[in-house]
Amino acid sequence: MSNSAATRLWLMRLAFVVLCLMVIFVQLMPLETVPRSWTGPDLLLVLSAVWVLRRPDYAPAVLIAGLMLLADFLYMRPPGLFAGVAVIVCENLRRRSLNMRDVAFPMEWLTAAGAMAAIVVGNRVLTSIFILDQVPLGLTVIQLIMSILAYPLVVAFSFAFLGLRRASPRDLDNMAGRP
Amino acid sequence: MARDRTQGEDYVAPLRRLLIGLLVLFLLSIFLVWRIDSPRVERFRAIVVDRFVPSFDWVMAPVTGTINLVRDFQSYQRVVDQNKELRRELQQMKAWKEAALQLEQENARLLDLNNVRLDPRLTFVTGVVLADSGSPFRQSVLLNIGARDGIVDGWAAMDGIGLVGRISGVGQTTSRVILLSDSSSRIPATIQPSGQTALIVGDNTIAPHIDFLENPDQVRPGDRVVSSGDGGVFPPGLLIGQVASDPGGRLRVRLAADYERLEFLRVLRNHGHEQLRAPGGLIVPEGLAQNEAEPEAE
Repeated sequence: MSNSAATRLWLMRLAFVVLCLMVIFVQLMPLETVPRSWTGPDLLLVLSAVWVLRRPDYAPAVLIAGLMLLADFLYMRPPGLFAGVAVIVCENLRRRSLNMRDVAFPMEWLTAAGAMAAIVVGNRVLTSIFILDQVPLGLTVIQLIMSILAYPLVVAFSFAFLGLRRASPRDLDNMAGRP
Repeated sequence: MARDRTQGEDYVAPLRRLLIGLLVLFLLSIFLVWRIDSPRVERFRAIVVDRFVPSFDWVMAPVTGTINLVRDFQSYQRVVDQNKELRRELQQMKAWKEAALQLEQENARLLDLNNVRLDPRLTFVTGVVLADSGSPFRQSVLLNIGARDGIVDGWAAMDGIGLVGRISGVGQTTSRVILLSDSSSRIPATIQPSGQTALIVGDNTIAPHIDFLENPDQVRPGDRVVSSGDGGVFPPGLLIGQVASDPGGRLRVRLAADYERLEFLRVLRNHGHEQLRAPGGLIVPEGLAQNEAEPEAE
């Protein structure tokens, strides 16, 4: 029993990594070489928020840090900045996820939205403190709104295809009982 | 049960917090190092991209191809209109072609008369676009040619017609081209009939705007914009596009390169031009002056 639970734990962690790599891969495909006036959600951020809020044990901080750092390098962002801010906020979410178990979905959505906004704002404040080139504000706001709108979709997707649901007390007991 | 759990975690929690703190410190120190010593970290970034992206190439190419195929298929709906339009354009083009041929002959005659030698060192390497920047805030593409093929930072990348961008970041097998539309792109240019110099400043739109123009009154929409070669950035005379003015009245460049389809880019080899250091350098080359001085000494 505990063996199969451990297998599932590692499988789901693997699924998280594969999902994130797929998102990076799709965004890197040379389909959009023209500047856009709108943009889709930052799926990497949404995925991390969903997994951390729903099943914190499946998305450990090291994985989030590694994937975000890779994305920073590949997307030509200042390396480490977005990743650092994201890890801090995700840890905050992780701490709250224990109390999130029996909260209605809108509340969870609001929490995630607040966290994503915090990451974006924190990133922007830090870039302005370090006098780096700012990305257009309008585009950032659109991306944030799209990310917030995409949150329920990613929740539904994770639930439907990967069976990711909120940790029940039984799961938590199993976790606690693990050596 | 839940109480048990929190008590059981008592000794784990501080350790965990410490590790998370170290992780965040590590990430932010990468950022700080990047801020202080950017070239070194950028070189590391080029290595990461070099390692990561080509390993995806085998699946990226077919997927991209399929999506483009579907897009092309959607465009068949408009094919009749397009056909009519193309016929009309072809008529016009034939007239232009005739004019161009005559001009080419005339140009060749004039060049011959003046004994002009065109720059023979302007050769190019062609690369395939592997990936785009992946983020809506950056406009760049990744080519499958790199230091192995002799690519050097700062060289110009063109598609068949016009300038696309400049090389910035070279890995062993990949190199990144910052497009003219990226908000960090600044290219010195000349506006053709009036001969004024300006900077083409990218601002994350498809039409970069024209800055530092001395006299905007002499420039009108439709003028040709070519690279000026100032500061040794690019070879002079590469076509960038045409002047257009946006609804706000600012002058912008309608780029000649087809940014919708960046598939193959040619990177121009540019080994720089001779620098004149002394006033007489152009008239008497340094090597010649030495040769003539030696016989006198003997």
